Amino acid sequence: MADVEYDRVWKRFTSQTAAAVQGLSLQVPDRELLVMLGPSGCGKTTALRMLAGLEEPDDGDIRIGGKSVVGLEPKDRDIALVFQSYALYPHLSAHDNIGYPLKVRNLSKTEQEARIDRVAAMLAIGHLLPRRPGQLSGGEQQRVALARAIVREPRVFLMDEPLSNLDAKLRVHTRTELKTLQRELGTTMIFVTHDQAEAMSLAHRIAILSAGELQQLGTPDDVYDRPANVFVAEFIGSPPMNLMPGERQNGSVVTSSGWRIQLATDVAGPSGDVTVGLRPEGIEIVGDGTSDAQHAEVVAVEPFGSEVIVDAKLGDQSIKIRTAPDIRPAPGSTIALQADPAAVRLFDRETGTALT
Amino acid sequence: MTAIPAQEQLAARADAAPLPRRKGRAGRLEWLAVHAVFLVVCAFFLVPFLWLLSAAFDAKAKAYIAFPAQPTIMNFVRIFTDYDFGRVLLNSVFVSVATMILVVFTVALAGYSLSRIDLRRKDWVMYGVLLLQTMPIAATMVPIYGLARQLGLRNSYLGLILVHAAIELPFLIWLMKNFFDSIPRHLEEAAWLDGRSRFRALVEIVLPLARPGLGIAAGLAFLSAWAEVLMVVILIDQDSLKTVPLAFYQAMRTQGGYTEVQYGVIAAMAIIYLLPVMVVFFASRRLMVRGLIGSTRGL
Repeated sequence: MADVEYDRVWKRFTSQTAAAVQGLSLQVPDRELLVMLGPSGCGKTTALRMLAGLEEPDDGDIRIGGKSVVGLEPKDRDIALVFQSYALYPHLSAHDNIGYPLKVRNLSKTEQEARIDRVAAMLAIGHLLPRRPGQLSGGEQQRVALARAIVREPRVFLMDEPLSNLDAKLRVHTRTELKTLQRELGTTMIFVTHDQAEAMSLAHRIAILSAGELQQLGTPDDVYDRPANVFVAEFIGSPPMNLMPGERQNGSVVTSSGWRIQLATDVAGPSGDVTVGLRPEGIEIVGDGTSDAQHAEVVAVEPFGSEVIVDAKLGDQSIKIRTAPDIRPAPGSTIALQADPAAVRLFDRETGTALT
Repeated sequence: MTAIPAQEQLAARADAAPLPRRKGRAGRLEWLAVHAVFLVVCAFFLVPFLWLLSAAFDAKAKAYIAFPAQPTIMNFVRIFTDYDFGRVLLNSVFVSVATMILVVFTVALAGYSLSRIDLRRKDWVMYGVLLLQTMPIAATMVPIYGLARQLGLRNSYLGLILVHAAIELPFLIWLMKNFFDSIPRHLEEAAWLDGRSRFRALVEIVLPLARPGLGIAAGLAFLSAWAEVLMVVILIDQDSLKTVPLAFYQAMRTQGGYTEVQYGVIAAMAIIYLLPVMVVFFASRRLMVRGLIGSTRGL
């Protein structure tokens, strides 16, 4: 059990021009489940590997439980890592794979067996123990890899996209299990993924990275409702936030397509060019007579059962609206839209940083 | 999820199916032609063996194939009584096995290092190794003779073992480097995180997975040391240190000048010389095939 701290960590690979990790500072308190989220190549896996000791940072410090681990061998860090490929030893049975870290620690045979049995029962893999990895399905291998990590009772769990090789149904199921497991074990966990839905459902907090830089650190609600910049706004949410160029005029904002949206009263900041962000559920389809409604042309309607996503065209701007399942405007027809002032987010047009 | 349309799946399956066998006259002719060529090739390789077999058991063997005119096993007895072939055989076994052990140990460490450790100018090192392999061995005869004399390695087992190992190392280092490249790095990284040092992870996780590659290296090193004749001629002139190829060579040369060539004796020596090769081949053929495919599947 320990907290983890990245302190202005830099990592550069000779094969790349830009640094893979650029001045990452991040604190993960004990028992937290932190998800590092970002597109491929954003530096999240490198950050994780530096914590594990598989890469060394060029600059900055990484601390576990308050003590720097830079320069320490992986074996001396007391960290467990579940790889995307699971990295099970192909020549050992599931039992011996799980028992390997215990053998390394010279635990007594009875203690080893007791711990293997306990973990196998926890993950319901007792019947798989005699088999070798080649005789296990992807989901079963994943559980054995998880068991090998848990059995050691490490200070920190690291997970490098452990669910991405599972099929969609199993992935959602395992996600729930992992969350429960982390709560029961109470061990700090850092989970790397590029899947924003996975991040939202698992995390206590999410660290969003892009091009080696931390974009935002916050709870799933934070990053969804108050994205720190345009990158986060577009990366989080499915469909993502609608972004439109606009101009701020005192208490309201006018998009380039001419839609005037009233701002909530507490929005501060100067007038001028901005990017307007509106979540699909922040827009409502209203009756024709409503005052200050904006007309838009329906392009397509995507029913998802519990909700409907309407694609509409507002001048040359395409936007998505999330509505109740019974609202099905015909493609080609015209609808009236109204934005919820509380849902409007404004971003600096130049830098992309949030203004509200 | 990326679903493949059913039609494409069917098409892919049809492609993978074996071609239907052609029937009729054309098919029979093709069958005959293929088998005729196959027979000629087999004969080309088998005929020398047939001569060896017939000559070894013939007291009056000649340089052509004939059913033994005077069947005997005396040829085999004579090579041990008159030619001290037992001693020669032991020398060969000792030198070849020692070469094999030295080579396996060296290529395991060198191949792993070249595969895993980031060296400056690693590509130059690798090309250098390759260059060594392309050198004709005969070109190195004189320097090796001089070097061996200076170091007192002539007429010694150690000299033979070192030179035989050196001949085989470049190619086998390349082979093992590529073999280690095919073993995922995540496996040993997992072992490090499980608490193992780099060396123990190599021994416990990586080397067991490299067994097919090490099997080939061992087999090839043994066979090459067993068959090598040029360096033996340069380095050895004491009878007590002779290995099989040298004894064999001398048996042919010295007899030719004076008396009738003892074809039966030479054939008997050749047969005994071939036996260990067969044994090594059959003992390691599964490992060799797996290693040559370079696959660690199903381990």
